[in-house]
Amino acid sequence: MMGLFNCYVREYSYVKQQQTAIKMYKMVGEERFLLWAVCSIQLQVLLSNGGEKLLSLAEALLKKHINSHSLHEPEALAIYISILEQQSKYEAALEVLSGNLGSLIGREEDKLRMQGRLLARACNYAAAAEIFQKVLESCPDDWDSFLNYLGCLLEDNTNCFKASTASHTCLPSSVDSQVPKETHLSEELFDSRLSSALSVVEKLQKDGHDDCVRGPYLATIEIERRRHLNGNADDGKFLEALLIYFQRFNHLSCFASDVEMFLQMLTQDEKSELREKFLNILEALPTTPIKRIGQVITIFKVQELSGAMFMESVKELEGTAIKMLEMFCENLPLSRDLDPQENMYGEELLSMASSVLVTLFWRTRNLGYLLEAVLVLEFGLIIRRYIWQYKIPLLHIYSFVGALPLAHDWYGTLEVKNILQETMSHHILPQMLKSPFCSEAADLVKEYLKFMDDHLREAADLTFLAYRHRNYSKVIEFVQFKERLQHSNQYMMARIESVFLQLKQKADSLEEIQAIFQSVNYGMKLLELSNEDKLTSLTFNEDLQTRPWWSPTTNKNFLSEPFEDGSACSRATMLSKKKTTEDEDTKKKEIERKSLIPRLLYLSMQAASSTVKENSEPNGTASDTNVAAELKILLERYARNIGLTLDEAISVILGILEGQKSFKELSSDSISWMNFAVFVNALNLSSKKPLLPIEDKSNPTSWHIVDRLTKTCVMYHLSHSEPILTSPGNQLTVLVQLVTESFSWQILIIQSCMKSLLPIGKRKKKSGGGSGLMDQPNLPKLQAVQSSIRSLMDTIKEIQTRVADQINGSEDNDLDTLLSYVQRDDNGPGRIFRILEENVVANNPDLGERISDSLKSWSSGDVLRRVVRAQRKYLTEFNQICDSKVKLLGTLRQSA
Amino acid sequence: MTTIRRFCCDDLLRFASVNLDHLTETFNMSFYMTYLARWPDYFHVAESPGNRIMGYIMGKVEGQGESWHGHVTAVTVAPEYRRQKLAKKLMNLLEEISDKMDKAYFVDLFVRASNMPAIKMYEKLGYVVYRRVLRYYSGEEDGLDMRKALSRDVEKKSIIPLKRAITPDELEYD
Repeated sequence: MMGLFNCYVREYSYVKQQQTAIKMYKMVGEERFLLWAVCSIQLQVLLSNGGEKLLSLAEALLKKHINSHSLHEPEALAIYISILEQQSKYEAALEVLSGNLGSLIGREEDKLRMQGRLLARACNYAAAAEIFQKVLESCPDDWDSFLNYLGCLLEDNTNCFKASTASHTCLPSSVDSQVPKETHLSEELFDSRLSSALSVVEKLQKDGHDDCVRGPYLATIEIERRRHLNGNADDGKFLEALLIYFQRFNHLSCFASDVEMFLQMLTQDEKSELREKFLNILEALPTTPIKRIGQVITIFKVQELSGAMFMESVKELEGTAIKMLEMFCENLPLSRDLDPQENMYGEELLSMASSVLVTLFWRTRNLGYLLEAVLVLEFGLIIRRYIWQYKIPLLHIYSFVGALPLAHDWYGTLEVKNILQETMSHHILPQMLKSPFCSEAADLVKEYLKFMDDHLREAADLTFLAYRHRNYSKVIEFVQFKERLQHSNQYMMARIESVFLQLKQKADSLEEIQAIFQSVNYGMKLLELSNEDKLTSLTFNEDLQTRPWWSPTTNKNFLSEPFEDGSACSRATMLSKKKTTEDEDTKKKEIERKSLIPRLLYLSMQAASSTVKENSEPNGTASDTNVAAELKILLERYARNIGLTLDEAISVILGILEGQKSFKELSSDSISWMNFAVFVNALNLSSKKPLLPIEDKSNPTSWHIVDRLTKTCVMYHLSHSEPILTSPGNQLTVLVQLVTESFSWQILIIQSCMKSLLPIGKRKKKSGGGSGLMDQPNLPKLQAVQSSIRSLMDTIKEIQTRVADQINGSEDNDLDTLLSYVQRDDNGPGRIFRILEENVVANNPDLGERISDSLKSWSSGDVLRRVVRAQRKYLTEFNQICDSKVKLLGTLRQSA
Repeated sequence: MTTIRRFCCDDLLRFASVNLDHLTETFNMSFYMTYLARWPDYFHVAESPGNRIMGYIMGKVEGQGESWHGHVTAVTVAPEYRRQKLAKKLMNLLEEISDKMDKAYFVDLFVRASNMPAIKMYEKLGYVVYRRVLRYYSGEEDGLDMRKALSRDVEKKSIIPLKRAITPDELEYD
């Protein structure tokens, strides 16, 4: 029966699991089988809308068992408590915990935390506060317990609800930087409660013997924050608490992140005042060189958090970046005896310097600063190549300047594997998917999908392992985690993109495209992926905190936008800390839109090939009459996805052609619009009621409409496309996507159309002289297709010319151009470059052999040459794709 | 201030800044989840007030008779939170669980023979080199098996160093 139970675990059939477990329990009366049944009930409640009534059944089963046999496993007790808690039976849970069963919990602190939580949830605040105080006395650094303690004193149990609702969940709790729930306590009571919290915390500070215990000191700041937020007169206590914290922990690397949420509450003036006071404290403190460097870093970080980078003048910022770099170099000897595996002292100075330089670029648009940001990070990596805090900003800058192969290489050195692919691949995958490097992108997608599929396959066996080892809370956790990964937006996107990449890579061969269609049920598989239920339950697991501040999400890059002083900082902070709903909605839309395309393409190709056939050949997948109907429904959905009705979307296209609208004004991206136009043309070919103006002498055919739109779109983007070498964030990506996606789809539709237009004999061998087609009734259509082929060829050649212009010159010339941005004596970038180029530090005898040797191989020129090469590789790859499209179109033109 | 609690699956989605460190291995999922499924008390995470993962420890308890012991499989701290005794706190927790809850005789761990900073740290925490395991790491580098006796091993027999080095196939446990 265990085998049968395991089968149901594999199938995630919670009801059958429950029934089987109960049978086993009835047969042998073992506690574990009862708990298996109870877990199955919990799973029904949590994941299958099983109805909360089931919880009382679980409770009754457990009670009966306890009465006759008691419980013997701590995990069984945890599940029992969680069943009671989920029904809000807190008193009953407390009774169980304080009875004999309570002794099952091995660690006293764990029992106290559980009691405190239950008391708080039962609104027995005084008793809960007392319990949490006890926890703090034995674990003064336990921040979560402090928040619970403070919450209970103020009769606000939000934190206890935020914390684990049951033993199987472990949502993190945190200081809420927003205003906490408004208190119902009188001002006097509120103050007296805070005062008693303060005296408890002060006692903890006094009794503490460990210099590393920061909790009680941060607690003081939190108490003062609460007082401050409650509108009580500010007597400077809040700032004072921050100063005391600084006095003790100024040299710690985590100081700034510890106080970040508190700094956010201060006005700009208060922040400046605080920074001044911090500096005064440091002047008076005796210190060691190692502590000193930590203190300086702290001050820089506080400055960064305060948004000073956006307020200071360009000159001041330049000075700051130089100071950071010089300080790093000066202090390198401190790290001479460190093991190469250990972090060097002052490592953060270089990532901060590069961040300042990126800001300078954003503000001035001077490429030199961005190149210096690259140089600073590369310089750090030549000394110690393991520093991921350098690699991540570096790969984002490389992506931004079009040196994607370098970004890809650095990403490779991060060794992102297993679960890190889910949280970290956003650093590279989106750029790769939009690039001409389809094969490399496909490898990334393949590896990620393999990880996800493998895990989803083995997850049930691991769940059963948790059952067997009687760790019931993990059973629930594992199933919930599997659900979370299964609904990952990246997982869904990767499945769609893997098909997309195949279509892009094989777009020149109709046969291979047909095989791809077959493997995804002619696009239906992807449509099923993006149904509304699945889109609603998407999860977002990317770790965005590791992204640079200037690109807080995959869809956002501040550097592509004009610099807006002041407000930019708070916006950046806001976005980098929180995935906005807006960003998630954009992703959902993108997933839905992309999931439609393979089916739209398949139907379009069907529609194109049936335009001339009166009686179509039997088609098992979609009959010709249905093709047009389905195509229309999907196009309506596509239009809805970009926020319009089908008619509205069509009039936008016509509006562009008539010069009433431009691509700049469109809410969605050009690629989405071009794809739409391409598919609308296909629908027009087969529909009895054409959507686009019908073919007559005064109106252009829909083929011409797409041709003209293509031209307009490419001309628009070419006119905004500056050379990749000197124009970071240029429009090249859009052109790449147009060619590899929209134009590929259009060429496939052309091929399908021609296949059916041309007589079989002609398809096999092109006869010379007069064409037999002239006698066909399809002549106007063929002429339209021929014209479309010519037009698309010309358009792609235009792009190619622009691309080729950028690689025809010599690499050395390009390098000289880049160097000219940093080899300057006037104002602006150049000073950082000079410091690095002179590399005086390499000759410092105090550095030690290892650091000295690595610095001797440093060359700024080499770094910039690699940038040039990577950009040229990108252009060459794109040029080759254009070339293959032009050749294919040439062949098609000849055969028409 | 640190909240130390049991590690849960969702933490796998939040530990990137710790695991990007080149010395911290990111294992496959079944490895982590087997530890969670079998020894959840030996897998703890430390979290900062801003909800950042500061570090974690994973381990297990195994062995027969007087070899019943706690084992540290991995302990790691994010760079931002180093040099403030967090690893010590996590190790002490695992030792306490091995000692008080599971009544183990000792706690052991393996470390690369070249990883001097780690070896020094473990020595400070009371661990001694019990034996050298030849070519333990990918058949290339030697590992040191370090041990710390717990209260049940009154005579501290478990930590009397072995006089000879052993090969990986002589190891009693994986």
